[in-house]
Amino acid sequence: MNRDGYSAPSGQSNPHRPSAATGTMWYQCADCGSRVSINKGEHIRCKECGHRVLYKERTKR
Amino acid sequence: MPSVSGKFQTSKRERLFRNPPKDKSAFPALEAAVRPHVESFNALTVDGGLLDLAARDIGERAVFDGSSEWSQYGNKLTIRVEKIYVDKPKLSIKDKTSLNRLIYPSECRERHISYRSRLTVKLGLKVNNGDWQSIDRECGQIPVMLRSNRCNLEKLSPAELVNRKEETEELGGYFIINGNEKLIRLLVVQRRNHPMAIIRPSYSNRGASYTNFGVQIRCVRPDQTSQTNVLHYLSDGNVTFRFSWRKNEYLIPAVMVMKALVETNDREIFDGLVPIGQRDNTFLTDRVELLLRTYKVYGLPTRLDTLAYLGDKFRVVMGLGPDLSDVDVGKEVLRRIVLAHLNDDRDKFRMLLFMIKKLYALVKGDCAQDNPDAIQHQEILLGGFLYGMVLKERVEKLVDDIRAQIRADVVSHVRVDFRNKAYLSRVFLKVNENLGNALEYFLSTGNLSSPSGLDLQQVSGFTVAAEKINFYRFISHFRMVHRGAFFAQLKTTTVRKLLPESWGFLCPVHTPDGSPCGLLNHLAHKCMITTTVSNVSSVRKVLASLGMSSPATFPLPRVATMCVQLDGCIVGWCSPKEAKVIADTLRYWKVEGSHDLPLDLEVGYVPESNGGQYPGVYLFSQQARMVRPVKYLPLDKEDIVGPFEQPHMSIAVNPQEMISGESTHVEFDPTNILSIVANMTPFSDFNQSPRNMYQCQMAKQAMGTPGTATRYRTDNKSYRLQTGQTPIVKAPLYDEYGLDNFPNGMNAVVAVISYTGYDMDDAMILNKSSYERGFGYGTVYKTEQYGWREKGRGEKTGQMLFGFAEQESIAQVLSDYESGTPVAPSPVYKPDAEASQAEWEEYETKREEYDKTKLAYDSEMRKLEKSTKDRLNSLGRVQFRWFKHLDLDGFPIVGQRVEDGDPVAAYYDVSKKEAKVFTYHGSEVAFIDEVRLLAHETPDQPCQEISIKFRIPRSPQIGDKFASRHGQKGVCSQKWPAADMPFTESGMQPDVIINPHAFPSRMTIGMLVESLAGKSGALHGVTQDCTPFKFDEENTAADYFGHQLIKAGYNYHGNEPMYSGITGEELQADIYIGLVYYQRLRHMVNDKFQVRTTGKISELTHQPIKGRKKGGGIRVGEMERDSMLAHGAAFLLQDRLLNCSDYTQAWICRTCGTFMSITPTIKKPGFKPQVRCRRCATRATGFESEGEAWEDGHGNVFVGGENTTIVAIPYVLKYLDAELSAMGVQMKYNIKH
Repeated sequence: MNRDGYSAPSGQSNPHRPSAATGTMWYQCADCGSRVSINKGEHIRCKECGHRVLYKERTKR
Repeated sequence: MPSVSGKFQTSKRERLFRNPPKDKSAFPALEAAVRPHVESFNALTVDGGLLDLAARDIGERAVFDGSSEWSQYGNKLTIRVEKIYVDKPKLSIKDKTSLNRLIYPSECRERHISYRSRLTVKLGLKVNNGDWQSIDRECGQIPVMLRSNRCNLEKLSPAELVNRKEETEELGGYFIINGNEKLIRLLVVQRRNHPMAIIRPSYSNRGASYTNFGVQIRCVRPDQTSQTNVLHYLSDGNVTFRFSWRKNEYLIPAVMVMKALVETNDREIFDGLVPIGQRDNTFLTDRVELLLRTYKVYGLPTRLDTLAYLGDKFRVVMGLGPDLSDVDVGKEVLRRIVLAHLNDDRDKFRMLLFMIKKLYALVKGDCAQDNPDAIQHQEILLGGFLYGMVLKERVEKLVDDIRAQIRADVVSHVRVDFRNKAYLSRVFLKVNENLGNALEYFLSTGNLSSPSGLDLQQVSGFTVAAEKINFYRFISHFRMVHRGAFFAQLKTTTVRKLLPESWGFLCPVHTPDGSPCGLLNHLAHKCMITTTVSNVSSVRKVLASLGMSSPATFPLPRVATMCVQLDGCIVGWCSPKEAKVIADTLRYWKVEGSHDLPLDLEVGYVPESNGGQYPGVYLFSQQARMVRPVKYLPLDKEDIVGPFEQPHMSIAVNPQEMISGESTHVEFDPTNILSIVANMTPFSDFNQSPRNMYQCQMAKQAMGTPGTATRYRTDNKSYRLQTGQTPIVKAPLYDEYGLDNFPNGMNAVVAVISYTGYDMDDAMILNKSSYERGFGYGTVYKTEQYGWREKGRGEKTGQMLFGFAEQESIAQVLSDYESGTPVAPSPVYKPDAEASQAEWEEYETKREEYDKTKLAYDSEMRKLEKSTKDRLNSLGRVQFRWFKHLDLDGFPIVGQRVEDGDPVAAYYDVSKKEAKVFTYHGSEVAFIDEVRLLAHETPDQPCQEISIKFRIPRSPQIGDKFASRHGQKGVCSQKWPAADMPFTESGMQPDVIINPHAFPSRMTIGMLVESLAGKSGALHGVTQDCTPFKFDEENTAADYFGHQLIKAGYNYHGNEPMYSGITGEELQADIYIGLVYYQRLRHMVNDKFQVRTTGKISELTHQPIKGRKKGGGIRVGEMERDSMLAHGAAFLLQDRLLNCSDYTQAWICRTCGTFMSITPTIKKPGFKPQVRCRRCATRATGFESEGEAWEDGHGNVFVGGENTTIVAIPYVLKYLDAELSAMGVQMKYNIKH
């Protein structure tokens, strides 16, 4: 488990680590630059600022 | 001579790059270039702006409910527009998740949506005589101009702009429609509020006795909408007044209009038309008498009679309510149509008299016709104003629609109750209130759908895409002035002529060659366009103090023959002598800044002449005028002059040319007449003028730097030069416009030499080593959208999803593959030649072992791959190979290399669960540069659209186009190895070799001078000023730069001895070698090459199709055919035209000579399938011998018709045959052999 994939445990709904295997991927918000995890089929929104464009990250890691 | 050679100011530039200014732009000149666009938009929405004026001008609409209450028509509902609000772009109120509610332009570009904001129209409703009730109606979202006062970028500093993902020098002035940048073209229209004397043959087509004489005035209302009025001269001397209203033309006797305007009499009209000094002018008196006499037939003596008559005729046309009296309708006609720029009826009356006088003077030959193609009688229709006109018309239509809806309800006996809120909201519901869509349509297509036509001569082509190929092209769009689409189809070329009047306003160089030549001009870089009305409150007072008589004076003094007009309103009369004094004094005072006169007041003093322009003093202060600064000599201060006054002024080009006692002005700089792009041509005064035009074209096609915010742009196609440089040879204007932010080419060492033969005919040789160091390296970015954008409201969303239906399982399979991959056996290498026997033996055994393990490994890998593929296939037909390019979320991996047909996004149908992919299409290899996930329009919907930016590397190739800045273009013909390039005594090698033949006929001496200047600049480490008109016969450029070269130890003439790179021998002649700035043009072979051996053919003709995209061929046309015939290359012709085209073998009947009666027979025992002629055959009787009868496909049996054969024909022949027979024409072929 590398550090990039690590996210602070939210405690409630999603105890799993977001990863491709669980249908969650990381993206980057086009406005605030924060890393956003989006589940499969979820709507595209930055979790921090609510921005409407996300970039795919450059690395696969 | 240029003052001093400049510094490069690299550190200043770098400082600006790293710390963008936090207060204001470092390049105010750039902002000024776009200002007309932005300010014309701002003028709409400021308090008391054009939209407020428009709302007032729309006026009231009344509708009756048809009941028996209140009036004979029932209750009255009056509707008016109280205010039109335009918001700033924001998220809709429905959106509750976002912190920052403002929408910025970069987001619209990235999401491929429009940058628009809410439009609210505040309607006022009044029932009967009650109070006005206001109601706000949401009218959709209208596109908003960037950096206008309705844009969220307004007044942001460069530093803040960078934070908003814009350029530091984001200029605005355009709109964003569906992610594309669009701007409204500047359009040339007739000068407002000034009657023009016109002789136009088409005027005589209006009817019997109409002549080609007319006086035309384009009246502009305060809200910038216009109405053209024309006075026609009839052959008998009568005058009619023409206007068009809602695309229909109407003609009224001019006297009727005058009589309706004011309570007047024939005497007053006569006095107005025939001044005291002209009473013996029988030409005039005869016509005026006839004018007045012929009007008698109408029998309308008073003003009220005339108004009632007009009102009766125009009630339906104007669409006014039934409760208005005829007189009121007549007044409304006069208010809205007749000289609409004036408010006062007395002013209109006086103006009409003036126009009739001008018309008679034109007919008599006392004054010349005005040239509508001269810039003197033109102004610019600004984008913002046009936008406001379209918006006004839409709002007016909304009000009309509401009224029409209520009327329809009354007719269909729906319960109409004006006091009932529910009823009114039902009416609003039925009316199309979405004005935003209409405006978006206007901007995206440039098509005007308007009931009135907006007094314009065209209905399409109002907008253009602001292409950002490079910055020169981008900025040129904003300085571009189009004459109008109507003139493009005109056969005559008079409109395209470059007229001397245009001096200083339109660039004489910067116009394209070809079909838009002369119609598409560019503003000179110092030319400005006014966007507000200047304060002219004191002008009348000043004029009166200068001795002008009031127009109300009666009788006017005999000498007061010169009319003084302010914005198309007659403010007084004066004598010709006084006129000159008035004009000169006004100018002195306005430049001085005294008497509250605005500096940009245009004082058009037209002196009396012998059959010249109609004399008078015409003052202009309103919007849309082109103006430019020149120096006023008496005060040595800046004056602003316009195109109307300029032809009557004496402006010296430079101080040497000033004539004492005549010149009042002098140009600040002769280069002020050139456009921004034309100013960037170095030493353009040394070149033959067409070469400078070519350079203006090519600068705009260069692969340059579109901007620094490329990361946040999603242009469909964008070019970028990786190794741009600042030119060594550049004018100070280059830095004033901040063009170092957008480098457009590279400094190259250019040798003018015929070296290898590969530089013939404008070809150029590139030094392979400079190419390898990055000379001309460029990139093309392409953005592609994938997804399912919602089209209508009815369409279901969420059917398709990006990604894989069973992502978890796929992830499992892939990780299984990874973990299951066996370790590959490490290869065994042969020992050295001098290895010992033991080593060899060891190698042999190892080798055997390796072979065994390799076999096992291979089979295991095959098994693993097979099982992986099978497992993936079972998970909804997912293919293993996709994962080379795709991630598990179905989106491509950023940085991946893709080729034609490679997947770039995976998706599946929610109901079917079958995986599919979008593929990349393109002949070239591309790299995934950026992947954007775009949110759905409605929140909480899954991703339905992504946007992928591909990066296509384009290093210079043989066949790519390059050009210097002097219209000298060439194609790279070889990348010559550096070792074989010629070199100078100091060891320098050229980057580029061009042929000396490029110069004699083209006479681009500027390029030779640039080469000298560049060389000395490079040697001394300075930039060279290349502003044109700096050198003269005494101080020549060659001498100036020659001495600099001598100082650096080089030949004065720029020649150097050179040595052949191949033999090492010194070349016989000294070679002209220096530094020239080279542009790489966007025309590249990779976008152009077209080859084909076989391929797609047309279904109809079986001939190869055309079109590069479809893999078609290039036609061997008539001329190519002719040349082959001339060479006697018959077999080649046969090959091209038939064998490689639509060669076919077809059956034909020898007897009847046709293709059409041929039919194949069916196989029977003892009878081979054959082809027979049905026409020559006869029905079988049934008694034929074995093998004689044959059967067609329908079971019919025939005998005979065996005289058939195969011929080789072009397939189209059969098609022609079929077409002809469809017309009842039969073709018969005589078959020999």
